Amino acid sequence: MNSSDNKAVMRAQDFWAALFLFGVAAFFIWRTTFIPLFGHNRAGVSGADWYNSAALVPLGIFGGLLVLSLVLLTISIREGGARSALSAAGIGWNRAEAHRFATLAAILFFYIVGLVPRVDFILASGLLITALIFGYHHGHARRMSLAAAVVAFAGSYAVVRNLPQSDWGRHDDDLVTLALWICLTLWALVQGRGDRVARVIPAIAVAAPLILVCVMAFGFRQNVPNRGGLIFEQIEYHYYVSLKPLWSR
Amino acid sequence: MEFVYSQLSGFGGAFIAVALDPLTYLYLVSSVFLGITFGALPGLTATLAVTILTGFFGNKIPLDYSLIALLGAYVGAIYGGSYPSILLNIPGTAASAATAMDGYPLAKSGRGGEALGLTTTASFIGTLIGTFALLVFVWVLLLISQNIASPEKALLALFGILLSGTLMSEDLVIKGWIAGLIGLAMAMVGLDPLLSEPRYTFGWSYMLSGFQVVPVLMGAFAVPQIIEGLRHMELGRSVALQGRILPNLPAIRRHLPTITRSGVIGTGVGALPGVGEDVAGWVSYGVGKTVSKDGKNFGKGSLEGLLSSETANNACIGGALIPLLVLGIPGSPPAAALMAAFKINNVIPGPTIDPAIILHVVAILVLASLTMFILGLFTARIFIKILRIPQTVFLPVVMVLTTIGSFSVGGGINDLYLMLGVGFVAYFMSLMKYPIAPLVIGVILGGLFDETFRRSLYLSDGDPLAFVSRPGAGILLALNAALILGQIPVARRMFGSLKRRLL
Repeated sequence: MNSSDNKAVMRAQDFWAALFLFGVAAFFIWRTTFIPLFGHNRAGVSGADWYNSAALVPLGIFGGLLVLSLVLLTISIREGGARSALSAAGIGWNRAEAHRFATLAAILFFYIVGLVPRVDFILASGLLITALIFGYHHGHARRMSLAAAVVAFAGSYAVVRNLPQSDWGRHDDDLVTLALWICLTLWALVQGRGDRVARVIPAIAVAAPLILVCVMAFGFRQNVPNRGGLIFEQIEYHYYVSLKPLWSR
Repeated sequence: MEFVYSQLSGFGGAFIAVALDPLTYLYLVSSVFLGITFGALPGLTATLAVTILTGFFGNKIPLDYSLIALLGAYVGAIYGGSYPSILLNIPGTAASAATAMDGYPLAKSGRGGEALGLTTTASFIGTLIGTFALLVFVWVLLLISQNIASPEKALLALFGILLSGTLMSEDLVIKGWIAGLIGLAMAMVGLDPLLSEPRYTFGWSYMLSGFQVVPVLMGAFAVPQIIEGLRHMELGRSVALQGRILPNLPAIRRHLPTITRSGVIGTGVGALPGVGEDVAGWVSYGVGKTVSKDGKNFGKGSLEGLLSSETANNACIGGALIPLLVLGIPGSPPAAALMAAFKINNVIPGPTIDPAIILHVVAILVLASLTMFILGLFTARIFIKILRIPQTVFLPVVMVLTTIGSFSVGGGINDLYLMLGVGFVAYFMSLMKYPIAPLVIGVILGGLFDETFRRSLYLSDGDPLAFVSRPGAGILLALNAALILGQIPVARRMFGSLKRRLL
């Protein structure tokens, strides 16, 4: 794609972005009207003067955003953005790239929303690392889909089975994640025979989260996600009961 | 002169205290090594290195050690970007993009070892120039900043966001301003700083405390890079390194004027609020090409071209810390991450900062640059091997680091949701060529802008003249206006015709 094509694509994207920004700015200006601007007494403080109002700066910001979105819209229309805005080529749609992003977004979403709060961090992160390296190292679309499906299944299972926070300590989702991780690792090893990267996946997937979580929890004494997870619970128990007494005596 | 001597003696005390602590070296060597690794790996940046370490070390260890780790990584990463620039023709960080122009042709002509030796020395000298400027000017500016009141602070915060938006935009300047405004808007969420009025919380109690800086930083800088980098890529063949990596002292002596000029330019650009090392590198390269006798050979393997960019990007570090420490306004994106580290340790950079912290920062920078110099000369071949690690292997580990760092600072799952949300938005913004640095600077300075802007009006009973009645405020308002008007074609034409008439 040459630079004039790139510019045309950019302006088509700017056209949609300007409309979106205009909508967002208008919405938040409307929401800002909920904050008293004149003559109200809120939070125990008299807000009788306009310059006291908590709405003043947000109004300026969203007003500025509204104006800039109109300027962006004008530029994009003047440079042909509106003409190509409805064509796939015009907005730079790329099927392979959209598939790559969609699968990655699904993996990250289910990891953060489903797995991290509910599943042992070492297991969740091991599965994530395996899925990302296996799925994206060679850029094969089918591998990306498989990686996303595995993480999405593990994440959905955790969310559906253990939605409320009171259930986050259960281990059934840990076991499902562990099983899926082992299966994906074996599949990656079978598919990547002779590939050096495939051979190092299990080592990285086990070592990286294990070291990180132990350094954070025992080195820096920090909060780590899901302390009651299947593996970390055991590590923590043996650290305090079996190991620490050795040097604390 | 007496002032400089007193500064040097204060620095001497701080330097000895830092240098005599054995733990310093543990943090320093590991963080500089990590920084160079982050810089050397295309796809990871200095900002990401400092951001991740902010989440990792943040408030878990004393601020003194935390600063060693963060500054060590900062210095190391800016230097480390020169490795892939010279050997692969791929800039490891945006800061070393200009380095590739002459570094790669030098490596191709069999002078890779010499080029790396020179960049190592130039980066070392550049960091020292920036650090010296930090030591001297920060005190002068601190004295001046004692007289800065709310109107100046509000206008300075706005200037930082506008300037960052103007200079960091690859495409249209208004995209930078839009990014800055989005950042400012994000900072409005939560209880307002003067009346504790809830804003845009949508009934969610987590939002009452506003967006936390570390998850926003992680989301804005790490997630888009992870999404962008996870693709199949054939790395170009690395040029075989010929010659030993040694500081070429005669060449350094010959090019000392270039190094000094680039160091001064880098420090100056760094001192501009919100403008980073990449701008410093290009500005210095551009100036060098114009003023140098060797200008026609820039881009064809000129040593002066190489030194111009490499000295400036490292000198920018000290410069970027000047507005951060004096005014609480980050001078570059990595400095924004440093500001977050200060904040989560309850240290507020600005006119009221403890002077001992400034001396400590200067001492760390000197030690970090020395460590970088030694590691650069003796372990360069390790970093060259690291260049071969594919992004698809290390980025998943970065994602895990980002997650645990973001979680542990706030200790809540909601911070992770925020990080992911900001990350997706930042990814789409960077796809459409919106710079991310102004957004982050907007988030960081939004609270300060809101509070000082309204306080100025409150103290003047709503009189907007409060923003012009003080000389400092008047100058800053004029600068803000010039920055905006300078982008409007009609205003530019008017200024042009006015200038022609006056001349």
